[in-house]
Amino acid sequence: MAEVRPDEISAILRKQLSGYENEVDIYDVGTVLQVGDGIARVYGLSKVMASELVEFPNNVYGMVLNLEEDSVGCVLFGESTLVKEGDTVKRTKRVASMPVGDEMLGRVINPLGIPIDGKGAINTNKFLPIERKALGVIQRQPVKEPLQTGIVAIDAMIPIGRGQRELIIGDRQTGKTAVAVDTIISQKYTHTEEAKRLGIKPVYCIYVAVGQKSSTVVQVVSKLQEYGAMDYTTVIVASASEPAPLQFISPYSGATLGEYFRDNGKHALVIFDDLSKQAAAYRELSLLLRRPPGREAYPGDVFYLHSRLLERASKLSDDLGGGSLTALPIIETQQGDVSAYIPTNVISITDGQIYLESNLFNAGVRPAINVGISVSRVGGNAQIKAMKKVAGSLKLDLAQYRELEAFAKFGSDLDKGTQRTLANGARLVELLKQGLYSPVNVEKQVVSLFLATSGFLDEVPIHDVKRFEKEVLEFIEVKYNQIFENIKKEKQLSEDTISALKNAGSEFVSVFKKSS
Amino acid sequence: MAEQKVSIRYAQSLLDSAVERNNLNDVYNDVKLIVSTLKNYPELRRVFINPTIRPETKTSILNEVFKEKVNGDTISFLNFIVEKSREDLLFSIMLKFIQLYNEHLSLADAEVRIAFDFSEEQKRALKENLEKLVNKKINFNYSIDPQIIGGFVARIDDTVFDASVSHQLEILKKQFIEGGASLN
Repeated sequence: MAEVRPDEISAILRKQLSGYENEVDIYDVGTVLQVGDGIARVYGLSKVMASELVEFPNNVYGMVLNLEEDSVGCVLFGESTLVKEGDTVKRTKRVASMPVGDEMLGRVINPLGIPIDGKGAINTNKFLPIERKALGVIQRQPVKEPLQTGIVAIDAMIPIGRGQRELIIGDRQTGKTAVAVDTIISQKYTHTEEAKRLGIKPVYCIYVAVGQKSSTVVQVVSKLQEYGAMDYTTVIVASASEPAPLQFISPYSGATLGEYFRDNGKHALVIFDDLSKQAAAYRELSLLLRRPPGREAYPGDVFYLHSRLLERASKLSDDLGGGSLTALPIIETQQGDVSAYIPTNVISITDGQIYLESNLFNAGVRPAINVGISVSRVGGNAQIKAMKKVAGSLKLDLAQYRELEAFAKFGSDLDKGTQRTLANGARLVELLKQGLYSPVNVEKQVVSLFLATSGFLDEVPIHDVKRFEKEVLEFIEVKYNQIFENIKKEKQLSEDTISALKNAGSEFVSVFKKSS
Repeated sequence: MAEQKVSIRYAQSLLDSAVERNNLNDVYNDVKLIVSTLKNYPELRRVFINPTIRPETKTSILNEVFKEKVNGDTISFLNFIVEKSREDLLFSIMLKFIQLYNEHLSLADAEVRIAFDFSEEQKRALKENLEKLVNKKINFNYSIDPQIIGGFVARIDDTVFDASVSHQLEILKKQFIEGGASLN
């Protein structure tokens, strides 16, 4: 703690008091009529704006949501027990906003931008409103750069571009958060000198935790720290114990912080974990504000709640600096029911979705991505050429395998072709399995997929596929590192690279020892 | 909420008819009298809210209390309210009327709290400056409140003009506590 010198204090006091005489503070006030359940009804405040921040006594802040003829409905961001009937409410003349800046990186904050990690104040001098209108058509351009998640199945078959909105959807305990955290960890590569040399711009990450257990959030943060990902990440937390209004605004805060990076020509990734809980928080406060309930008791504007949030993800045009904001919203389904209200809404808003299934998860396929029904509507444009080439037939092969697999269960005799498809598919599924927190760089993904699709795996027993992959990548890295360098630099598979790869592959197959 | 709407309608019609008949000031004085009577005698207010008392009784009570003291238009308006069974809103209609009257003539009421009595000179200066600021004729209502230490706190409708020493000290305190990044 820095020491405070008495002469500093008296200087500040003198400065403050010297300007005292002609200062009249003009502010608008209202009176609390009714308070409870985190909602306050206020009489007065006749000039207040919608979603303006208002100040209650005891340092409690609120946000105006309902403007009615003779009263104003506010949600409280603090303890409602600190506010009493008859208290005076002051306008702040600011719509709810949060501080933004590079200083936010590496910190854990609440949705109003106040640090909660005990590392002291964050000195930023820029404020942006939490609710901002999304950009129009002119300011945007189609996505063109890839956002590497480091997860082979996603980068190969469901590629995500910078500026895209890709939904991660699945039941509880299917690894939704793990996919998101892996993606954050994978961005570490974009902050290295090597990425800079190759012209890959760094991606700053924001992880928004809505309505989660504090213990889960602590786990995520410690994992991010462990893998050195906190240096370029901000975590925004409104845990389950926070009042519903804070949970409701936290995704918007995340988007605001992301937009700060985007508008400065940088790239940002924001993860909303998860929007089902945000919708539930919004439902709670809407019902308390007496807005009429609709389907599943959600208010009528719950679609707009998510569409205006996700619409803020964008790829800026080159005139505006070419920054991007990628959004990965997460939705938790109940018993795999994707036709519930909130999942269908968010599916229709986003540019594709990654389905995670619990039966795949339990069968040991992790990440438990159902490739058949997962899609990415725009990310294909962002894939590097090399990846496009090797992954082109992958999705189809896997779909065929799934179909035949069900058929083959009847145990009838199978012809050679079918057997080959089955064997091939099983190896691909095995290859796409990946451990937690172990993102793979794109050049390695390309190499292992190339080897798999060119038949180098045919002789490898299924239980050896992962070991084969690991060892062949090490082998190439040590002996033929040029292959990786070429893919990274040229971003495509030239004839030379392909023949080098084939040679390396055959060389390795001949020395690979199968385990018994 | 519906109550407020109804009160505004009745008060507006009273105002309009008074303007039409050119007796706005008389009606205003009547309304002020009625408001102060209702304020001072809550049991009278209770009579009008009570639905078990017959409308005829209410009319005769109104007539007996106010007939001699207010002008004919006002008394017929009061009878009209009872006839339409809106007598439970009588008090709120009267208050709304005063509000609408003030708006009509761009008048405003100011509640001013001061730590110690102002001199006439000071009061005049305050009046001049505040009237210029809000562009309305202001009716001042002073009260002494030693808690504000010095200066004044004037409230016109929802807007507060705070030039008190206690408020300045509060702001100072806040600045010291918050230091760097904060909500403000």
